[in-house]
Amino acid sequence: MSSTAAPLTLRRSLALVWRSLRSMRTALILLLLLALAAIAGSLVPQQGTSPATVAAMFRSHPLRADIYNAVGLFDVYGSWWFTLIYVLLLVSLGACLLPRTRAFVRSARIPPQPARELDALRHHAERTVALSPEQAIDHSEHLLRRRLFRVRRIDGALAAEKGIAREGGSLMFHWAFFLVLLGVVIGKGTGFTGYAVITEGQCWTDAAVNYDGNLQQGRFASLGDHTGIQICVKSFEDTYHRSGLPMDFVTTAEFRSPSGEALGEQVIRVNHPASIDGISAYQNAFGWAPIVQVRRGSRLIASGPLQFEKDPAPKGISDLALPWHGALRLPTTDPQTGLQFVLWPDGRAFLQVAQGGQAPMMTTANHPLLILTAYRGDLSSELRPQSAQLDTRGLTKWGSGQLIEQGRTVDLDTGALLPAGRTSRAGDLTVTFAGLRQYTVLQISRDRGVRILGLAAVLILVGLLASLYTARRRVWVKARPGPDGGSVLEVGGYALQRQSQFEEEFARLVERLQAAAGGPSPPVSTEPERVGTR
Amino acid sequence: MTIAQWTRISTDAFTVALVAYMVAMVGYFFYLAFRREQVWRAASAIAWFGLLTQIVSIVARGFAAGRMPWGNMYEFTSLTSMLVVLGYLVIVERRYGAKTLGGFALAFSVITMLIAVLFLYVGPGPLLPSLNNYMRNIHVTAIIFAFSLLALGSGVLTPLFLYKEWRERTDSGSADTGGPKPIMGGSVDAAPGQAVEEPPHFAAGADEPVGTTGRRGLLPPSATLDRLAYRMIAFGFPIWTFAVIAGAVWAQSAWGRYWGWDPKETWAFITWVVFAGYLHARATAGWKGRRAAVIALIGFACLLVTYYAVNLWIGGLHSTYANA
Repeated sequence: MSSTAAPLTLRRSLALVWRSLRSMRTALILLLLLALAAIAGSLVPQQGTSPATVAAMFRSHPLRADIYNAVGLFDVYGSWWFTLIYVLLLVSLGACLLPRTRAFVRSARIPPQPARELDALRHHAERTVALSPEQAIDHSEHLLRRRLFRVRRIDGALAAEKGIAREGGSLMFHWAFFLVLLGVVIGKGTGFTGYAVITEGQCWTDAAVNYDGNLQQGRFASLGDHTGIQICVKSFEDTYHRSGLPMDFVTTAEFRSPSGEALGEQVIRVNHPASIDGISAYQNAFGWAPIVQVRRGSRLIASGPLQFEKDPAPKGISDLALPWHGALRLPTTDPQTGLQFVLWPDGRAFLQVAQGGQAPMMTTANHPLLILTAYRGDLSSELRPQSAQLDTRGLTKWGSGQLIEQGRTVDLDTGALLPAGRTSRAGDLTVTFAGLRQYTVLQISRDRGVRILGLAAVLILVGLLASLYTARRRVWVKARPGPDGGSVLEVGGYALQRQSQFEEEFARLVERLQAAAGGPSPPVSTEPERVGTR
Repeated sequence: MTIAQWTRISTDAFTVALVAYMVAMVGYFFYLAFRREQVWRAASAIAWFGLLTQIVSIVARGFAAGRMPWGNMYEFTSLTSMLVVLGYLVIVERRYGAKTLGGFALAFSVITMLIAVLFLYVGPGPLLPSLNNYMRNIHVTAIIFAFSLLALGSGVLTPLFLYKEWRERTDSGSADTGGPKPIMGGSVDAAPGQAVEEPPHFAAGADEPVGTTGRRGLLPPSATLDRLAYRMIAFGFPIWTFAVIAGAVWAQSAWGRYWGWDPKETWAFITWVVFAGYLHARATAGWKGRRAAVIALIGFACLLVTYYAVNLWIGGLHSTYANA
């Protein structure tokens, strides 16, 4: 810019920014920047998809992790710079699209323009036809309209145009990305995702408190915004191929309205979520939940299914070969008591491991075994009182490990298994393995933007196909009186895109026009007919 | 027939196809160098034979596994290499009459098949429940088609275009300019004079022995290569778009979210963005030709990362697919 140029006022600099935003080069660079930023997100572990890896990195490389964290590399797709890139891209897109859309609307309103000298066009043909000039033009007009041309008739000649879908499709494709943004903002902003852990035979209510800290709420969603719908799990089934590969996970659940009226039973399985009242429930995980009863003498002091957990399997060992563990805390006993359990859903697996063998995969419950280790002392020093692993720092071991088969009871004071049907001495603490159930983990989410995104997807695809595979063509038809009451049809054509294909298209169109106008007029013209390219 | 028999048929047919492709590849390269028409005919016939055998292999694999044969990386790779050969034989050779590119297309397939059989082979078997879904079949089918088309356009034709374009630039001014000069990086629409059907060196003397062709190009003119690459990518791009959308629909039903920035999703998105960049670059002054081709090459690299690197090294939800 020369020194004599007007000073860069706010208005001028805004205009400059706007102009450069509109350029295709800016859009291209922003597109490639978006790709680069996304690559960064795929190479650095992300908090959202792999929190464990992120935590491990904070432990192993604290400084690097702090730096990454400060610049948002652990949450690339939510970081300010990623947002900046796509917002700029959308602004650039909008700046580009507005004038294009205006021009498109204007050009769509302009009727096809007549051409004076058809033989000056690249594609030109003349044909003798049987019908009179006026009829020939009538029939040609009909044919062109049927072939999706916009046709205008001026002074007994036709000017036709088609292929408006090319620019229209391109505009639709690009505008649809604003719809995508809208759908994402509405869906994520007002939605939530959480996990419901429900044991067979129990009910769970959609309310913020029931997610046990597993709830992610959108920015514009409030905690009171839940439906209050009840999900009562009747059964959970997990089935496997003989190789141990899972076949299906199925939860059968009954839904109830907040007031308790039944809303019907639904089957939730992998790939088949249940939807009700705007929320959807997806099959996510499952586990074993033994029913454990604790009695002081004959008085029941704790009873119910305990949701057991399992450590991730080491490499090379099937998940199904590992036992489950769970804990039960009895803070009201004196001294306080903590029970640590290990569950082998298939008792035979335990026996094989005890004999030094490798555990087979436990795909179904078969003579389940519960191994109990009891502790006494102070439970209040526990940091995670909900955990399936007892924190034994304030506790001392009480007796040795006990094997309990399903239906059996162990007396903690004597350390003996009670014979079936026998009750313990008064005042003794007993633990009964009363039954074995499964629990299912359902992912509960609400996303109100999905329909908008579905519409956007359709627009994107249709627009893309139209913009890539249609082409604009202009065709003109004139007719003048010919021999024997027939006429001579003169056709001219012009292609704005895909010229090489138009040659063939044009030749076919000329044939069709001739046929529509009554076919070649007899006698066939002695002059060789001309068609094709100049 | 038993599963073992189907498996046997599948692996044997795979080997036969691989050998056929190798022979055809050598034949095509021989033709490229020495212009013996009979050798080209033989190479083409062998490639067709290999293609049919590979289709047999894939169908047998489907019977052995009792499902659609694109459930793991081995099957996906086999299908992709088959589609690249199919795309080459039907579109490039049949429709556009370009005979000299066969060696490159087949080289791509031979390499991917070798990778498949050496590193990725697993026996046929059922799928994890989350993969057993109608939408997933649509998603994977579309991804395979799009992958093959994009790979043919950006991984095979684009490097050839760049090479040829470089040769034309460095050779310009030298004696042999038989036909009209190819417009550098001419787009599909910008070069109406450049008839695809009859590139200059195919017209006369194209089959002369190599001694007399001198330094005349062995390959079609760069404008033709550019146009072919563009056609493939412009064909593959909407299919890729559709596949990503179908994947999102599947993810919504399987995981309760249509998009989660899983590495596979992220790389599919990156690939989409790069090819969108390529399509835009071709319509931008100053970016046509070489620069657009470089973007296409980056796109090819992204395709490879999306498919191989993500599964083998990065992991994520889609990695279940690798050892399914």
